[in-house]
Amino acid sequence: MAGARYVADPEECVETVALDGLSVLFHRPSGMTHIVAPPAPQILEALRLGPAEAGEILARMRAWYDLEGDDAADAVEARLDELEAAGLVSRL
Amino acid sequence: MSGTDPKDGGANAFVPTRRTVLVLGVAAASTVVTIRPALAQTAGSVLNCEIPVPGPQAAGSYIAPDGSLVAPGTVGAAPPLARPLRGEEAKLLLQGSTPAGVNPQSAQAYANYIRRLQAGMSGFTCYASLQMPR
Repeated sequence: MAGARYVADPEECVETVALDGLSVLFHRPSGMTHIVAPPAPQILEALRLGPAEAGEILARMRAWYDLEGDDAADAVEARLDELEAAGLVSRL
Repeated sequence: MSGTDPKDGGANAFVPTRRTVLVLGVAAASTVVTIRPALAQTAGSVLNCEIPVPGPQAAGSYIAPDGSLVAPGTVGAAPPLARPLRGEEAKLLLQGSTPAGVNPQSAQAYANYIRRLQAGMSGFTCYASLQMPR
């Protein structure tokens, strides 16, 4: 799959607190706090391995998790758009 | 996440204790909610937070009437404040009043400086918190 490549800030830029089913992320560079639900934290986790496009991110997550849901690629791209709007990932 | 170690990217580095099911959901289901700094700060600390005018990155700069930073000594511009404004004082300034110790002729310039603060600038979180409805 050809598409935009995304990159996430290094792990030390984001303070993460796992709550019951949700995660709270404090993004140090912006001073913003985000509440994220799966699969957003897992997408960020996958991006910590290095920049990737949506299909590659999906493959990384598939190696770690049993993925459920139709149109997985669409779902991941929609989450990437959200994470980009929140300033947690950016396009290369 | 549980059982993963993203720092070790090798194929054998990840040893799951139990394979987790991850529900991707549908594209339309939003999963990110951003809390603005105004809401991230507790109400109790708002009036005690501080806004340096100008911020340390622009120490010594004068403040023009429109709130922009200008060279020290610029005619018609206000000198830097000797000490940071507390949240309560900033609130007075933004309402058009002049807190004690502030030159009334410079008050408008300082108020405009505060209004121009952006994320990442010293004092922004304090300013954002002052906008929080109570």
